[in-house]
Amino acid sequence: MSILLDVKNLRVDLPTERGMLHTVRGIDFQVRRGEMLCLVGESGCGKSMTSLALMGLLPARARRSADRLQFDGIDLQAQDERGMSRLRGARMSMIFQEPMTSLNPSYTLGDQLCEALRAHRKVTAAEARERALYLLERAGVPQAADRLRQYPHQLSGGLRQRVMIAMALMCGPDLIIADEPTTALDVTIQAQILRLIRELQQEFGTAVVFITHDLGVVARIADRVAVMYAGEVVETAPVDQLFDQPSHPYTQGLLRCIPVRGKTLPGSRLQAIPGVVPSLVGEVQGCAFANRCSQVRPACSVAPPFAEVAPGHAVRCVTAAHPATLAEVA
Amino acid sequence: MTTTSLPLPGTAALAALPVPAWRRTLRRAAGHRGLLIGSIVLGLAVLAAVLAPWLAPHDPFAQDVTQRLIPPVWHERGTWEHVLGTDKLGRDYLSRLLYGARVSLVIGFVTALVAGLIGTTLGVLAGYFGGRVDAVVSYVITCRLAMPVVLVALAMASLVGGSLKVVIVLLSLLLWDRFAIVTRSATQQLRDAEFIAAAKSLGASTPYILVRELLPNLMGALTVVATLEMAHAILLESTLSFLGLGVQPPTPSWGLMVAEGKAYMFFQPWVIMIPGVVLAVLVLAINLVGDGIRDVAAPDGRH
Amino acid sequence: MQYGLDRPMVTQFFEWLGSALQLDFGRSFYFQNTVMELVGERLPITLKLGAMSLLLAVAVAIPLGVAAALYRDTWVDRLALLVATIGQAMPNFWFALALIVVFSVGLKWLPVAGNASWQNFVLPAVALGYYAMPSLMRLTRAGMLDVMGSDYIRTARAKGLSPARVVFKHALRNAIIPVVALAAVELGFMLGGSVVIESVYSLQGLGQLAWDSIARNDYPVVQAVVLIIATFYIALTFVADVLNAALDPRMRTR
Repeated sequence: MSILLDVKNLRVDLPTERGMLHTVRGIDFQVRRGEMLCLVGESGCGKSMTSLALMGLLPARARRSADRLQFDGIDLQAQDERGMSRLRGARMSMIFQEPMTSLNPSYTLGDQLCEALRAHRKVTAAEARERALYLLERAGVPQAADRLRQYPHQLSGGLRQRVMIAMALMCGPDLIIADEPTTALDVTIQAQILRLIRELQQEFGTAVVFITHDLGVVARIADRVAVMYAGEVVETAPVDQLFDQPSHPYTQGLLRCIPVRGKTLPGSRLQAIPGVVPSLVGEVQGCAFANRCSQVRPACSVAPPFAEVAPGHAVRCVTAAHPATLAEVA
Repeated sequence: MTTTSLPLPGTAALAALPVPAWRRTLRRAAGHRGLLIGSIVLGLAVLAAVLAPWLAPHDPFAQDVTQRLIPPVWHERGTWEHVLGTDKLGRDYLSRLLYGARVSLVIGFVTALVAGLIGTTLGVLAGYFGGRVDAVVSYVITCRLAMPVVLVALAMASLVGGSLKVVIVLLSLLLWDRFAIVTRSATQQLRDAEFIAAAKSLGASTPYILVRELLPNLMGALTVVATLEMAHAILLESTLSFLGLGVQPPTPSWGLMVAEGKAYMFFQPWVIMIPGVVLAVLVLAINLVGDGIRDVAAPDGRH
Repeated sequence: MQYGLDRPMVTQFFEWLGSALQLDFGRSFYFQNTVMELVGERLPITLKLGAMSLLLAVAVAIPLGVAAALYRDTWVDRLALLVATIGQAMPNFWFALALIVVFSVGLKWLPVAGNASWQNFVLPAVALGYYAMPSLMRLTRAGMLDVMGSDYIRTARAKGLSPARVVFKHALRNAIIPVVALAAVELGFMLGGSVVIESVYSLQGLGQLAWDSIARNDYPVVQAVVLIIATFYIALTFVADVLNAALDPRMRTR
């Protein structure tokens, strides 16, 4: 499978009153065609900023830079706003977290769906409508024909998210970036939407960058995983390897927080990771996780490089890269 | 301030106290350009009005038919004797302008004050007591809002005859609506605040609560409204005077000066330009001050 | 006796009110015609003037407000706010005269007085409308700033819609709702304030009628005009509320 999205050393800086906030500090990752990459991390680790950076939707004051930012061979950094507009919606789409506010309350769903297609392709209104109907049905929206004439406020959150998914697929994009699309939904609906996204992804062969903070979601749908911490990608691996052999102490810590059926003994304590995330205003010295890491060594005062520890499995950690002094995983 | 050799106990803690709110506000005010410019211009206007008898080169009422319609000094026919020229009756324009400032400012201040009293009283009563009091006051406000102010002022002024006093009374009786609306809603919001409940629990009487506890918290909004209504009053007075139903000649009023100059405006445009520009500048200054106070007092930008 | 001026004030008032509701305002003291005839003659002119003024004000305010919001804190924004601030400071009678001096006399583009053709209405419309422009512009600007930060605008951009379409189709449609309501209310103010403008430009409208009648102590006419304009005020405020509700689809269905 060829590489669709190639990101190398992406940085996003935001000037704030207290100084320059480095929200994304040089991340590398790749997405192959048809692949589901989950970008997982806690709030504030920079995952949303990453998604906006890819789409070119960062706020005006943000500054983006990268050694390489390529989508299907196209250099995204070389695109001006018009070039990006041509790509957005047509070849790379985005689904947002808040379905309640992500649709324009003054226009019908049909109007908003069809404009997503007609902005990029010369199709008639009838053709656009046909495609909208088809996608709404595939997205599991009942009475799709009626829905086209309805307004967003007439639908529930789950239904609206299905509409958003259909809208993202209108032009048949190669890549969909989903920024926590299920977080704002009911738990029962979450599972449905997740399943839907996975099905559609496999049916249409679309690559997906799925952003989430929930490892449970990752376990369910990911092909590959990239773990983010404090503006950096600290580990990438195929999903099975990540859960079986987590290499970065942060990943290990995360997994220790989750009860695992069959492994965690009843009555045993879930271990939270002690300490807090360092401030990203100003430069961070060395490894950002060092102040919370149980395996910290003097070498960690220098920022560790991103190194491969197994095929397709890379880690940003000195300890993990040199397992001679690796401590026992609980 | 002399420094003591030994730090007194507790001074370190005092030094760590945050800057008092009013001083921060003052600092913000000093940095606000609009507020600064507006205040300076307004201050100059007030100064000019107060010192008019000393600043005016001539008697504003002195007519001299031989000196009619002399253009301002930047014109080829102008002279330094009459820096801003003369009007159709040979009266010095600059002097009339300075005395006209008195008229405008007096009307502005007094009207804002009286209308403010009326409106604030109504608004506070309505907001604090609610119920029937509120219903009555709201009805009165609605009636007032339904009235076209200029027309009603004109009609009333024609009934009674125009004069400075009449203008002040009329405008005060017409311009209180915004005071009432703003204080009413502000009072409604503050009515259930803790400090009011605290005062009540200490046995404070209602008048005490209204005046000593509630009113100070309304001052910010009130000042903003007062400046806006002051500007409004000045514009209205000039309109009334222009139409002949405001200040009567020979008292110099900027609106009146425009009216008097209307017949000559084609060939001597300065006769209407100068008072108009001066009016606009004064109103602009007052508006800047009002906007500035609002920005400074509520910097989170409540648009 | 004929006018019933001998009966007590209260009775007179209610009699007047009763007749007024039937649109019978009696006869003018000055003219021979009934008041309604006079009003009927003049009202269309004032309405025409008001409509043109509002159109002009809106035609300037909305683009300016949108530009100010899009280019916030740049010279465009500052210029727009400057124009607005100055606009609100100029007395309308003076501005009306200044317009005459500059355009009718100086540049000789437009006629001075009378109400023969539409050109007669241009300067009066500008003089009447400019005062409403600043508040409309500020509201447009504030609304656009508010709306441009919404999630659905982000979605629209993510769909790859052109910036123009995002601004005009998606953002403006939502930001404009309160502006339309305010415009209705401003029209009411314009009708009330037409006195001065009509007098300066010698337009035979309702305001001019009111002014002349005031000067002539023609009370029936004055009362009628004030009542009619007040009624327009109230009606327009009501229209503003209706527009607010009608334009927001969230209010329409359900």
